[in-house]
Amino acid sequence: MKADDLQQVRPGFRDPAIGSQSVFRSALSALSHPGRVIEMPDVSELPRHGHGAAAVLLQALVDSDCSVWLSPLLAGTDAAAWLRFHTGCHWAADAASARFLWVAEGDALPALASLDAGTDAYPDQSATCVVELQALDAEGADGLVLTGPGIASEQSLCASGLPEDFVDQWDTNHRRFPRGVDLFLATPTHIAGLPRSTRVRAAQTAVEA
Amino acid sequence: MFHAFDNTGPNRPTPRPEWMALLSRAPLPLLEQALSAPAAAPLQWLRKPEAGLYMVQGRAGGTGQRFNLGEMTVTRCALRVGGEDSAVGVAYVMGRNHRQAQLAAVADALLQDPAHHEALDGALLQPVRQHLALQQAQRAARAQSTQVDFFTVARESGTPDEGEDE
Repeated sequence: MKADDLQQVRPGFRDPAIGSQSVFRSALSALSHPGRVIEMPDVSELPRHGHGAAAVLLQALVDSDCSVWLSPLLAGTDAAAWLRFHTGCHWAADAASARFLWVAEGDALPALASLDAGTDAYPDQSATCVVELQALDAEGADGLVLTGPGIASEQSLCASGLPEDFVDQWDTNHRRFPRGVDLFLATPTHIAGLPRSTRVRAAQTAVEA
Repeated sequence: MFHAFDNTGPNRPTPRPEWMALLSRAPLPLLEQALSAPAAAPLQWLRKPEAGLYMVQGRAGGTGQRFNLGEMTVTRCALRVGGEDSAVGVAYVMGRNHRQAQLAAVADALLQDPAHHEALDGALLQPVRQHLALQQAQRAARAQSTQVDFFTVARESGTPDEGEDE
């Protein structure tokens, strides 16, 4: 890290132990209840760029063994310097080799099939993708309907800003189980988890019926 | 403990790596003396003092293969003195003294500020240089007192082979 980058860095967790544990707790809840919108605790100072919930989540999850890929809008900003300073992570050369991905709002989500899905022997060594969205709602006109482990019957999730062919991409990702990519969707204050075990389909719209 | 670059020439400004090297070896009383006022101001912590282990490596004779000499504890921290735009002070000091790391980081932050550099150079860096030079002189004197001068008694005549025959 260059001295100039350090000048931009803002503080991180106010209390590293309590802060990272409460964020980890939220991440755990998000993945065990896929699609449920969960509020991120306010435990950390934030960089100027990027969504707060995404930044705090990565700060809690990433350590010096992790390779992180940042989407073009985030690369080189103070969010990059902030994450590197507080976690000691290193940057992945491309999205395909990264263990964690941070995709800014307005940047295209890399094709899920191109990301590291782990191996059959080590499915845990796959990529985790944190995607920034403008808003997440449980109720919405044309959203997604989630089923699978952790969901009693159905969970509806309205996530605007995902690619058009997201349902198809996710279907391919789900079929690779136990390999596959896990997704976190993040607004400035909330997150929702989308683990590879979850099935996703588009909600039936009234127009089609 | 004392490096060649600790002797600054006259009128030569101290670059940051050199003053950081000085601060990392500065004893706590000297830091307390020079920095008691600025360290009492509110600090913005980027990284609170945290102790960790570093593996120290050496080379036999300075040239051989690297080997692990042993681990040492190092305390590091990073902070800002003043507002959001002020310089970030960083310190890595030997041992586990959080206060020493904090004061060294405060000194690093202030030394980057041209308004404070001159005063602090005289109040802190110069005494540290003197302290380190004195420490080195004492160590050299202690070693000097145990020095043994080896000398060889020249043989009176003949080559070593002839000597053994006798």
